[in-house]
Amino acid sequence: MAGLSDTRKNALLLVAMLFAQLLLISGRVKGAGGSTLLETGVLRATSPVLEATRTVGGGVSGVAARLHEIRTARTENVLLRRELESLRGELGRFREAALENERLRRLLEMKKELAPRSVGATVVAANLSGQTRMIVIDRGTDDGVRPDLPVVAWGGAVGRVIYADSHLAKVRLISDPNGGAAGLVQRSRAQGMVLGRGDGAMALAYVPSYEDVVPGDRVVTSGKDGVFPRGFTIGQVVAVGPDTGVSKTISVAPEVNFAALEEVLVLVDPRAIAKALSDPSAPEGP
Amino acid sequence: MTLLWAVLAIGGSLLFQAGVGQWIPGAQRSVDALLWPVAYYALARSQRSAMFAGCAAGLVQDAWFEAGAFGIHGFSKTLLGWALGGLGGRFDLNHFPGQLVGGALLFVGDRFVEMGLMLLLDLDVGPLRPTALTVAAVINGLLVTAVFAVLQRIFGRQSQRSGRRKT
Repeated sequence: MAGLSDTRKNALLLVAMLFAQLLLISGRVKGAGGSTLLETGVLRATSPVLEATRTVGGGVSGVAARLHEIRTARTENVLLRRELESLRGELGRFREAALENERLRRLLEMKKELAPRSVGATVVAANLSGQTRMIVIDRGTDDGVRPDLPVVAWGGAVGRVIYADSHLAKVRLISDPNGGAAGLVQRSRAQGMVLGRGDGAMALAYVPSYEDVVPGDRVVTSGKDGVFPRGFTIGQVVAVGPDTGVSKTISVAPEVNFAALEEVLVLVDPRAIAKALSDPSAPEGP
Repeated sequence: MTLLWAVLAIGGSLLFQAGVGQWIPGAQRSVDALLWPVAYYALARSQRSAMFAGCAAGLVQDAWFEAGAFGIHGFSKTLLGWALGGLGGRFDLNHFPGQLVGGALLFVGDRFVEMGLMLLLDLDVGPLRPTALTVAAVINGLLVTAVFAVLQRIFGRQSQRSGRRKT
C-alpha cells in the first residue's frame, strides 16, 4: 500500500466502500423490509437533530402566529362588522349545515370505532421527492406499531409501515412507485391495484377493459391486499385512457394531500377494524 | 477536529433538509441539502474526505428519507464524492462557476445513480422529467454556491490557511 499513489489508494478505497454498500443494499432488498443495525444506529444517532427541527419549527411558528395575530387584529374588527351584516344571509345555508353536520357525525362515529384500535402519530420527516414517497412518524414498537400495519389520515389511506424502531417508524406512502393498495371503484365495484407512478400521481392498474370506470369515480381500498381494511378512500379517477390490451389505463388523484400531512393514524388492529367496518350497523367507510 | 466539523456539516444539512420537508414540503423536490457536505469536501478539501462525507451523508439520507433499500444514497454519494473530488483535485473548481456546476452535477448524478441502482435491484422507478430535473439541478447548484459563500464568510481566513487541497 505504501508504494501506491494517492489516486490509486482512493480508487481502491472507493471500490471497497461501494462493495460494502452494495452488500448492505442487497441484504436489505433480500430481507424484504427488514432493518439493519447500521440503519437503526444512524436513525437513533441523528434523531436529536430531527427533534431540534421540530422544536425550532414549533418556536418559529409560535412567534410568527403571534405576530400575525397582532397584525390582523385591527382588520379583523372591520371584517367582523361586515360579517355581522351578512349573518342574515347565512340563514339560508342552514340546510347545508345540517347535511354537513350529518357527515361530521358519521366521521365522529368512525373515529370512536377506530380510536381504540389505532395509534395517533405525528409526521417528523417526509420525503416526497425523487423516486421515494415516504414519511417518518414518532410512534414505534413501544406503541404497538409494527411493519405492514396500514396508516390512514382523515382524508383516507396513507401508506404502510415498512420499518419500526422503538420510537419511530417509516411509512411507505401509497403513491410511492414501490407502494400501492388493492383498490375498488365505489360506483361500479371494478377492482384493481392502485400503484404509485413516482410523480405523486397514482394509477389504477389491472382493471379489465370491459369495466365501467369514468373520471370522477371514487376509489376506495378493497381490503384484498391484506393490509388496508376495506372502505378507506384512496382517491378520485381523473382520467381514463385508451385500453392497453386487456386493461384500462386509469389515473387516480390521491385523496390525501401527502405534502400537508401532519398527523396520521396507525391501525394497530386492522382485522378488528375491517370487521367493524363491514358490520352493516357501522357507519359508511371514511 | 476535522471529524467534528464533518459531523456538524452533515447534522446541519439534515436539519435543513428535515426543516424544508416540514415547512415547505413542495420545495423538498428541488432541494438535496445532504449534497452540500459532499460538494464542500470535494471542491475545497480532498477526494478522500469527499468520499467519506458522501458515504456518511448518504447513509443518513437513506435512514431518514429512503423507503426502499438502505444504502442507495450512501453508494451514490460516495461515488459522486470520489468523482467530483477527483475533478476538484485536477482543476481549481472552488469558485462560483465551479461550485454552481459542481452542485448541479452532483444533484443530477445522484438522481441518475439512484434510478440506475433501483432498476438494477428490480425496483419500480418513476418517470424522469428533464425540465424539473434541470430546474432542481440549477437550484441545488445555487444553494451550493450560497453555502460556500456563507462558509467563506465565517471561516474565510481559517480555510485559506488550512484548506490546502490534497488528492
